[in-house]
Amino acid sequence: MSVIKIENLVRDYGGGKGVFDISFHVNQGEAFGFLGPNGAGKTTTIRHLMGFLKPKSGKCTIDGLDCWSERDKVQARLGYIPGEISFFDDMTGTEFLRFIAEYRKIDTRNRMEELLERFELDPKSKIKKMSKGMKQKLGIVAAFMHDPDILILDEPTSGLDPLMQSRFVNLVAEEKENGKTILMSSHMFEEVERTCDRIGIIRNGRMVAIDSAAALHERHTRSYTVTLESEAAAKAFAADFGGICNGKKVTVATKQSLEEIFMNYYGGEKND
Amino acid sequence: MINMALYKREMKGSIKLLIIFGAIITMYVSIIINMYDPQMMKTLDSFVEVMPELMASVGMKANAANLLGFMVSYLYGFILLIFPMLFCILRGNALIAKYVDKGSMVSLAAAPVKRCTIAFTQMKVLVSGILLLILYSTIVELICAKSGFPEELDIKELFILNGGLLCLHLFIGGICFLSSCIFSDTKYSVAFGAGIPAFMYVLQMLANVGGDAEKAKYFTFFTLFSPDGIIAGKSSAIASAFVLFAGAVMLYALGIVIFEKKDLPI
Repeated sequence: MSVIKIENLVRDYGGGKGVFDISFHVNQGEAFGFLGPNGAGKTTTIRHLMGFLKPKSGKCTIDGLDCWSERDKVQARLGYIPGEISFFDDMTGTEFLRFIAEYRKIDTRNRMEELLERFELDPKSKIKKMSKGMKQKLGIVAAFMHDPDILILDEPTSGLDPLMQSRFVNLVAEEKENGKTILMSSHMFEEVERTCDRIGIIRNGRMVAIDSAAALHERHTRSYTVTLESEAAAKAFAADFGGICNGKKVTVATKQSLEEIFMNYYGGEKND
Repeated sequence: MINMALYKREMKGSIKLLIIFGAIITMYVSIIINMYDPQMMKTLDSFVEVMPELMASVGMKANAANLLGFMVSYLYGFILLIFPMLFCILRGNALIAKYVDKGSMVSLAAAPVKRCTIAFTQMKVLVSGILLLILYSTIVELICAKSGFPEELDIKELFILNGGLLCLHLFIGGICFLSSCIFSDTKYSVAFGAGIPAFMYVLQMLANVGGDAEKAKYFTFFTLFSPDGIIAGKSSAIASAFVLFAGAVMLYALGIVIFEKKDLPI
């Protein structure tokens, strides 16, 4: 059953910017990776899902609720990490988290402590004085602390160091195991590869590919069969290159990484 | 309809400004009321004689009949108009447009709180600030007048006068709030939210000078607040205060509806 559904969404900002006729869905309990270069329309699509923007045409629904007209009901079940973190500068991190909990009218203390510990964040300092990474961690805590069923994460790991990125990937994997539905935009191939079941690639406001992570791999696999002079040489060759040995013949396959697949879709052409 | 967490946060944000403007008002009101003295009146009147246009432009006219008339001449033309107006401009802009412009509106919009609740709460913050400021001015006026001239002040008239003043400032607040709701860019929000009231005030100053320039009074809403008319008990003056109030209600309602419907580039 699809939880997040986008049907023929159009928003034209002029000059080729915007999103044009985008459709995709994310199923219950699934993690969907939303890949694309800067300015491709990822954030615009997500803003429609969040009910910040009204679709010019097309429709966005979450669990059957319209993302624009019923946004407050949708929001009750959402956790969101914005692509550009901008909180209230005049507050400390602690005050901000307390404010958000009070504003949403929820009790989040246990979960909040656990998340703060996991990301080694000390939220006592003023948000204005925080580094990009600290603000990002604060954004993660604020998005996950009320234990939402649906997570919309817009480039959630930007500004995090590799250790924290991997902790975040683990967190997302745990949430997925708990049956949460996740939409994650990113240009970090590795994290998408590790966490997402399906991947959508967007370019210049258009979806260019949607498929399972595995299928995307398979489609971009090439195999070669080479014949060697002796069976012994063939065996050694197969062992070195991970090929399949068949007499003097060895079949080797190259698996492109997601990054290479990504470059296939974008490579060589300018996006802006 | 109102989110208490947000209301508390924003009222905290208003406190600093309220204290500053409260202090300025205290200073001016106490000095001016203590200047009420037949001897001093002559000095002020002599200023008016020397530079009648300048004094008139800020609403100061000669020969005020009693203490309240004196207060109308020297407080209700400038100090009690400008400082609450500044409060409206600064807070009005900060309550909505600044959050949208800076992107921190995300934290408010990405929660199960209706947009009209957000806007209504912010409106209440602005209105509460205006109310506190006018209430405080009234108390300061009462204390100064009662301590200096126990017999001189008609309390009921002062209340009605300040009721009119409140309507004027609610209207100004409405302009600032509406502009804050319409524009997602602080630049434009300030340009209209501060520009319109300031321009109207300049027209009012022009109109006060008299002569041909008096026609300017037809183009400024400040004409609808007529302190002289209110203390003289003119029904037209009371009616125009109600017009300001009704206008204010419409401006706020329009602001909330626009904020509810608009695209947020956050």
